[in-house]
Amino acid sequence: MTPAPVLQTRGLVAGYERDLPIVHGIDFALGAGELVAILGPNGAGKSTFVKAIAGLVPIHAGTVSLGDVDATEVPPHEKVRHGLAFVPQTENVFATLSIADNMRLAADILPAGERDPRIHRIYGLFPDLADRSSRRAGALSGGQRQMLAIARALIVEPSVLILDEPSAGLSPKIVGEVFERLRGIKRSGVSIILVEQNVKAALAVADRAVILVEGKLRHEGTAAGLADDPLVAELYLGARRVHQATPA
Amino acid sequence: MNPQALMDGLIAGATIGLGAVGITLTYSILRFANFAHGEFIAWGAYFALAAAGLLGATFGALSAPIAPFSFGWALPLAAVAAVALNGALALVVDALLFKRLRARNSTVIIMVMASFGAALTLRNLLEFTFTGKPQYYTSALQIAVRLGGGIRATPDQLLSLVVALLVVLAVHLLLTRTAIGRAMRAVSENPQLAGLAGVNVRQVIRIVWVLGAGLAAVAGVIAGLLIQIRPEMGLDLLLPLFAAAILGGIGSVPGAMIAGLIIGLSEALAVAAVGAQWRAAVSFVILVAVLLIRPQGLFGRAE
Amino acid sequence: MSLELLSYAAFFLTMALSFAIICLGLNVQWGQTGVFNVGVSGFVAIGAYVSALVTTPQTTDHFGGFGLPIAVGWIAAALGSGVVSFLIGAVTIRLRADYLAIATFGVAVAVQLCALNLEPLTGGPFGISFIPRPFGDLAGSPLTFSLLNLAVLVVLVGGLYFILQRLARSPWGRVLRAIREDETAALALGKNVTMFRLQAFALGGGIMGLAGAVQGHFIGFIAPDNYQPILTFQVWAMLIVGGSGNNRGAILGAIVVWGIWAASAAAIGGLVPAGEQARAATLQIVVIGVALCLILLLRPRGILGELRVVSRHLDARPPRAGGVPTGKLRDAENS
Repeated sequence: MTPAPVLQTRGLVAGYERDLPIVHGIDFALGAGELVAILGPNGAGKSTFVKAIAGLVPIHAGTVSLGDVDATEVPPHEKVRHGLAFVPQTENVFATLSIADNMRLAADILPAGERDPRIHRIYGLFPDLADRSSRRAGALSGGQRQMLAIARALIVEPSVLILDEPSAGLSPKIVGEVFERLRGIKRSGVSIILVEQNVKAALAVADRAVILVEGKLRHEGTAAGLADDPLVAELYLGARRVHQATPA
Repeated sequence: MNPQALMDGLIAGATIGLGAVGITLTYSILRFANFAHGEFIAWGAYFALAAAGLLGATFGALSAPIAPFSFGWALPLAAVAAVALNGALALVVDALLFKRLRARNSTVIIMVMASFGAALTLRNLLEFTFTGKPQYYTSALQIAVRLGGGIRATPDQLLSLVVALLVVLAVHLLLTRTAIGRAMRAVSENPQLAGLAGVNVRQVIRIVWVLGAGLAAVAGVIAGLLIQIRPEMGLDLLLPLFAAAILGGIGSVPGAMIAGLIIGLSEALAVAAVGAQWRAAVSFVILVAVLLIRPQGLFGRAE
Repeated sequence: MSLELLSYAAFFLTMALSFAIICLGLNVQWGQTGVFNVGVSGFVAIGAYVSALVTTPQTTDHFGGFGLPIAVGWIAAALGSGVVSFLIGAVTIRLRADYLAIATFGVAVAVQLCALNLEPLTGGPFGISFIPRPFGDLAGSPLTFSLLNLAVLVVLVGGLYFILQRLARSPWGRVLRAIREDETAALALGKNVTMFRLQAFALGGGIMGLAGAVQGHFIGFIAPDNYQPILTFQVWAMLIVGGSGNNRGAILGAIVVWGIWAASAAAIGGLVPAGEQARAATLQIVVIGVALCLILLLRPRGILGELRVVSRHLDARPPRAGGVPTGKLRDAENS
């Protein structure tokens, strides 16, 4: 008897324009303590899918549930209070605010007494950020920004953490550090959804993975199983071929 | 150079700075140049006039001037009422007009054009209600106090200067040290990310309108007290306000205040040099200079 | 009685058409290049004063008074205003939409200030009088006079419309349209985008100056008070009401809005006792202000489409705090 999923979508249809859905009826479930990777070629709708879950993209049909709460109509700023934290791919920190203010802003939704201890605890996990806390977030390197974005998300102690292509624009070494962090976060009990283009790195940390193609969920399996699956290799290579064929 | 001109410039500059702080906040957070902000200043002045008149009529003692100032307790009380009423006015205007334009993704130009229309409406409503005749909070005369160095200032002027500076300081602390201030700065930079961080953007927008209009009310009362109350008082300030907000760097509260003081002083210098009729040209020249040389202003960030 | 009515109708239409000229000029600036000019009254004023100074008889009140023919005055007005527009544009045309709006607003304030204060040049607050009126020696027979003036304006507006339509279809007009649709592509094709936009801006400004001259000569006297922000507002209302960014709309809008203006003025004037006329006038402006806001809120599809095309490339300018289009705020506000 599997425990209830911490996050579930049923028949989710979503897109920026009413008459042009990008996500076509996706059923998806995230179990407690799982790290699930969402893979697929460019334009498959991976980002749109998770943004719809977060409330940034309009949902045309279907439902999103957080635990047993129907979160479909919940506005983004309230989803945080339900335990959902979303880290966008770009512009995921407030560049004009200091690191400290970024952290304090995230903690502002907590009860007054818990703010400072929580910030302190997260600083403990990210000593680099603690050292530079008065610097503007815009002055940080790409990797440090990614860490700050994740740190901010962790302050609210989410039950579900969604990351949209955290490896984008980062060097392989930094990618490794970020993903090591994700392992640690998973171990602490946070369930994670990881949208990624970097299939190899994603499958190395994930328990499960699903593959989106043209807005539909086409394939799923365990990370270990998919790593050897020729279909995945073809989709990955296919995505690269498509990517190289289309002019920038 | 006449040191008195410096004093006059400083006082005028404090009013401009106060108004510019309101503009820079709404500009950076609501993302459009609100040509109706000048009218919030005028409405604030008239709200206070009406409230002070009412208080004075009901409780005669409140009109009696508090030495050494020219006004009685009716005015500060009326000023508080004006701040509240102005906040309500701003919310109404937003709900009726700007919020709906935002909802349909109107371009900046439509918003500015609408604010222009709203300004015209508000200004003429004032003129219709109160006529164009200049009005005053008090008819009591003031003796200027000698401050040394050939500078004089009335107690009203000194109080206004102090109030303006304190208010701006309070706003600055609000923005940098409080949760709501952080929320406002976050919405100013990236409203979507702010929402993800748990900020209720709709509520922040309402707060910004109220804060901007409240600041405008204080500026209006000061301008009305030190000079006079007329329906065009807002329009006359509009160019200096924008010049100050842009010179200071959009989004910077200390910048707006400092820029306001600079413009006030420059106007005083210009008046001394070429005559009072050219006062308004100073803002124009400064505005063009800033836009050409350093569009991000003194404390804004170049991008 | 009906002769009077005819006279009045001719007078009304003449004024409306003079506004139509301003609208056509604004449409060149707005429709062709997306420049949001909030200082229209300034450009109109420049033209009015240039023509007045060139054509009035010599007087000690002010400089000028060359007593030249009206046609010369009008050409000088268009040129003068066009040149000033070019210079102003050279300084401001690369600014962001809202900064450009503020800058043009400043221009109008500056122009009015100069008109008010440079007394030796402009006659100061009293303005310039005795501006020669077209067919002035026929002023004795009002109907003929008004009809002839109307004819002049019809020819002028018709001619302008024709020229502007041809211009829009010319190679020059095509480049401007390309710049409007996709500035980056036009740049890539080696077109000096700024120069083209500047030319359009100057052309629009020159047309506005011509309108100022026409109005001045029609009324016979000008003063700084005639060129207040309300004028700018009226013209924008005309363009928005009638114009889907096109020239026919500009002319139509001028007539419609001027009609509403005159009708509401007459209604209020009739209903309100003499002592309250000034206050009634302010109420009229309140009504117009509300009406414009309503139009902006409930705009017909046509205008909406036009504005989107222009705004696409305006919104694409580099964002900075305060520079991001309102769309992002709306999304965050309504999600």
